[in-house]
Parts: sequence; structure tokens; C-alpha cells
Amino acid sequence: MSTLAFLFYYVTPYIAVAVFFGGLAYRVYRWWRAKPVAAHLSLYPRPHRRWGAFMEMLIETVTLKMVFNAIKISGSALPITAGLALHGALFLALAHHLPVFFHLPALRSSAIWAAFGTLMGLTFGALLLYALAHRMEGRRKHLSVPQDYLALLLLIGIVVTGLHIRLLHTLDAQELPRFFLGLATFHWQPVPQSAGPAFIWHFAFVQLLMVYFPFSKFSHMVGYPLAKMVAYS
Amino acid sequence: MLETFTEVMRQRLSRPLQYFMDICIRCGLCADACHFYADSRDLAHIPAYRALLVKKLLQSKGNPLLDWYRENHWPDERTVEELRKALWDCTGCRRCTLICPFHLDTGLLVSTARYALLQEGLGMNMVAEIGKAEVSKGEIIDALKEFYVGQIQELEGRLRQEWGIPDLRIPVDEPARVLYVPVVGEHAIIPLAKIFYAAKESWTLSLFTATNHSFFVGDMEKAKKAAHWIVQEARRLGAQVIAYAECGHATRTLLNFWDHWFGDEIAGIQRVSVVQLVASYLQEGRIRVREGAFDVPMTYHDPCNLGRNAGIFEEPRMLIRAVATDFRELTPNRELNWCCGGGGGLIAEPEMFEVRMKAGRKKVEQIQRTGAKWVVTACENCKTQLSDLNERYGLGVEIKGVVDLIADALVL
Repeated sequence: MSTLAFLFYYVTPYIAVAVFFGGLAYRVYRWWRAKPVAAHLSLYPRPHRRWGAFMEMLIETVTLKMVFNAIKISGSALPITAGLALHGALFLALAHHLPVFFHLPALRSSAIWAAFGTLMGLTFGALLLYALAHRMEGRRKHLSVPQDYLALLLLIGIVVTGLHIRLLHTLDAQELPRFFLGLATFHWQPVPQSAGPAFIWHFAFVQLLMVYFPFSKFSHMVGYPLAKMVAYS
Repeated sequence: MLETFTEVMRQRLSRPLQYFMDICIRCGLCADACHFYADSRDLAHIPAYRALLVKKLLQSKGNPLLDWYRENHWPDERTVEELRKALWDCTGCRRCTLICPFHLDTGLLVSTARYALLQEGLGMNMVAEIGKAEVSKGEIIDALKEFYVGQIQELEGRLRQEWGIPDLRIPVDEPARVLYVPVVGEHAIIPLAKIFYAAKESWTLSLFTATNHSFFVGDMEKAKKAAHWIVQEARRLGAQVIAYAECGHATRTLLNFWDHWFGDEIAGIQRVSVVQLVASYLQEGRIRVREGAFDVPMTYHDPCNLGRNAGIFEEPRMLIRAVATDFRELTPNRELNWCCGGGGGLIAEPEMFEVRMKAGRKKVEQIQRTGAKWVVTACENCKTQLSDLNERYGLGVEIKGVVDLIADALVL
């Protein structure tokens, strides 16, 4: 194994994970450190704060209250619904990766599970293309800067390589979880072969995403639940 | 170019703004909420673009790759022009904050950035000057007092005759339970003189006005100083209630900023909009009105700063329903109501007249759809703007305050 391959499979994944979590923590720290505004800034009607702003934050995150608010005001529900569906497909596609990280041979061999993964991957990909087209049209074209497109292209890269693996290769039920659990426990295992050459690209894009994530608009992932907290501060 | 702006902005980047700069994904939903954008379709009127402009100025420049990635460039004349439009063509109504999935506060951004732009000399000078005058008024109040009291006495005499109420009083600067803080002009005093008389309230008129123009230009230090005169006055007179006239931004500061500005100094003093106070009189039976006194189709315009920014939705409706036979809601209403286009200090700046008229088109459509003949509201800015819109677009409606209706329908 070349030095480069060794670094790629056994060193940079740790860096990516560290930057991902460290970076997101840094984001939150930066908001926490910034001085609050001396005023109540939340909008009305304001729900009772009986359980405190934290509980409210949890409830609003789960019920997606602010997103539904947006649908209510905006005349067109399609872009917002598509945006919601995009996030839903993303989470389900991520969930489909369970047998990659854990020994779940029953799921791995299930045809339904495989079809579910394909469907979620295709849906997520299609919605990403919609998001890209949406961004290039009308006022959003002028509102967008290159980083907005880069974020979408990176995700599209991950979906394409992921679908390539999903559709053209039958994964070994043991190989991938062994490799990833090995990484997690520092008992390094051989690089998986059953996923084919696209695995390199998929793995590379994901590592790139993890490093890029906290320093880009993706940080809205940790930002969304905190929106109300920030407004209350 | 714009170095001062950038420097001031960096210093004043508060938590919600830091969050704003990091989080905005430029989905562009906010454009749907903005009445300026609805009419102009001008990029600089999209709230997310307003934020992007400021963000670009805050970012470091010089690295070619990063500059491409952020579409960054050194500010030029066009940047200044866009920035002026983005920051001054805004009423701070915060409708876009309501639609934003992340609750990003363009009102706060505009307020903070206006202050920075003023330091650069690119400001609405009239508004800032009035703001300064409101601060210094407190220093010369003793000299002004005599003249003011004389004027009020004259008004008192006139109203006594007009209404045939010989014991009507308009107390100024006297110890009382309620300190009523009006806006400039006797129209803010007359209806309340009648209502307070009917409610047998122990009240006094403030020597100051509720309006706080420094708030419009984001100068919170001055806004606080101007409001502090009223705090001192209330304490000196032993007031238990401070009631603000029908004025949007001032009511918002009273209800949502004073706790943070004055803390213990205002402990035990109740703060209300006069609309809330009058609603409580009616509920408690302290005043009586002729039910269905006005047989005219009327609608209520929720001022942004009373409605979604301060939570006063039901009290004005309760008052209007008490005297109206045909009350019609605007669509949308309450927290979703469109801004009239006159807020954010734009009223005080003559050169903003045309901008205001364009920003009010959504409101005009809304009013026309109801078929109402009277448009009732509870904010001085809204009243002026609605009157101007009425004239410009030939709406043929009358603009009234909520307390005007109640005063005219009082049973004495």
C-alpha cells in the first residue's frame, strides 16, 4: 500500500471527524461568545416560556414550526416542500448506511433494504438537481455566490458515487463494517474491495464534506435548533 | 472605501448578527415577505441580499481563490449605492424574520448597519438629527415647560367648551397613577383627555414624546438616553403606569427594550400601550361606549411594531368590535400582516416619499380587497403613511386611530 493510500484510508478519516465536530463546536462557541442584544427580539405571538427556551427550542425543532411558518407566508409551497423532502431523503439515505458501519447481515442481504437505499439515493439526487436548477433561476441566481453551488455539487458528487456503489456492486456483508469498526476502535482492517473503485471517490467526497461542513452554509445543521435561543438572547 | 462602516459593523456584530452571517443559506424565501421587493423586484431589496452585502464587506479580501468563492470584491460606487438602498429602503417590519426558517433578523441587521452607515456619512440625516433633539430636549425641559403647559391649558379650555365638560382636565407634569406619553400634535391628546375623564383616571401628560428617532438609525445609546427622561419623569411623579400613545416603534421599545435598558429603575412600573390601557377600561366597565356606534365598513391594520413585534393583536380588535357594526379583517392579518411601508423612520425623510409610496402598494391592494371605508390603526407612522397612500392611490378611505373611535363613541 502506498503512503498516500495509507494516509487516505487510515489517517485523514480521523482528521475529518475531528474537524467536523471541532468545527461545529467552534461555530457554536463563536455565537455563544458574541455579545447578546439588550432586548427581547423574538416575534409574536410568542409561546409561553413555561418550560424554558430550551424546551421550546426542542419542540420547534421537532415540529419544524418555522418551516411551516414559511410555507404559510410564502405563496409557493413547492420549493419549501422540496427542501423538506431533500432533508428527509438525506436522513433516510444516511440511515441506509447502518449496515456499512455495523454488522447487520440480515439488513445487508435484504432486497427491500437495498431498494429503499436506491430509492432514497435517487430521490435525494433528484432533489439536489432541483435545488441546483432552482438556484440558477430567477432572483436566486443573483442572490447566489459560488459557494452555494459548490455545496450542492459536493453533495451531488457524493450521491452519484454512492449510487454507483449501490447499483453496480454487491457489498460483502462483513467487509465494510469490519473496516469502519476497525477505524473506530483503532484496530485497522484491510481496505474493502467489494464496493469497487467508486468507493475511493465516495469516501473522499465524504471526508471533504466533513472538513468543509463547519466552515460553510452547512453549519445551518447546528444553527437551526439554536435559532430561537439566539433570538431570545 | 467604507472602511468606517466595516470597522463599526465589526465592533457591533452581536450574537444574532454573527449567527445571521454564518447561517443564511440564501434560499431567498424572505423576498416573498418583503413589501419593497414585492414592488421593485430590485435585488437590493431581498433581505438575504441585504445581509450578503454586509457580509461581503466584513470578509477579508485579497486571496483570489477565496474572493472567487465568496464572490468578493473591493467595494466601489455600486456597492455604496446598493448598500444605501438595502439599508434605508427598509421599514424594519420583520416580516422576513417571520418567514425565515432560521429566524434571521433583518430588522436588527438594518438597524445596526444603519448606525455604521451614518458614521460613514451616508445616512438619513434628518432622522438622526430629530433623534439627537429628543435626547437634548431633556436638558432644556424646564425652559420649554412653561410654554407647553400654556398651550395645553388653552387646549383644555377649548375642549371644555366644545364638549360641554366644565371639569375636564389635562394635567401636565403632576403626580398621578398613569403617565401618558403622547406623540407630537394635539390629536394624540384630545381623545385620551376624554377617555381618561370618562374612566375617572388619575393621569398626567408627559412633557416628552414617545417617539424615539435614534431607534430608527440603530443608535441605541441615544435611544436609551431619550427614553431615560421619561423614566425619570415617571419616578418623579410617582407614576405606577406608563402608557405610550399610538406609536409603533416607541411601544416596541417600551415593551421589549426597557427591561434591558433600565432594569431595576423601572421595577414596579407597569408599561402599556394606550390601546391596552383603554381596552382594560372597557373590560373593567370603567368606560362605556355606544355599541355599534359606527355603521361603516372598517378594517384594522396591524402595525408591525405593535403586532408581530410586541404582541398586541387582540386589544385593538376588541375595542373596534365594541363600536363597529361591520368589521373586516385584512388578508393576511395579525403577525402576517403586510407593512404599510412607512416605518423605520422613512416618514421623517422627505426624499423617501416616493420609496414609501411604492412600498405601500401591497397595503393598497389589501385595503381595496376589503372594501372598507375606514382604516383603523394604532401607530402614528402607519396613519401618516396610510393617509399618503389614500391620497396617492385614491382609496377614498378615512384613516383613524383606535382611541379616536372609542373617544367618539364614549357614553359620558
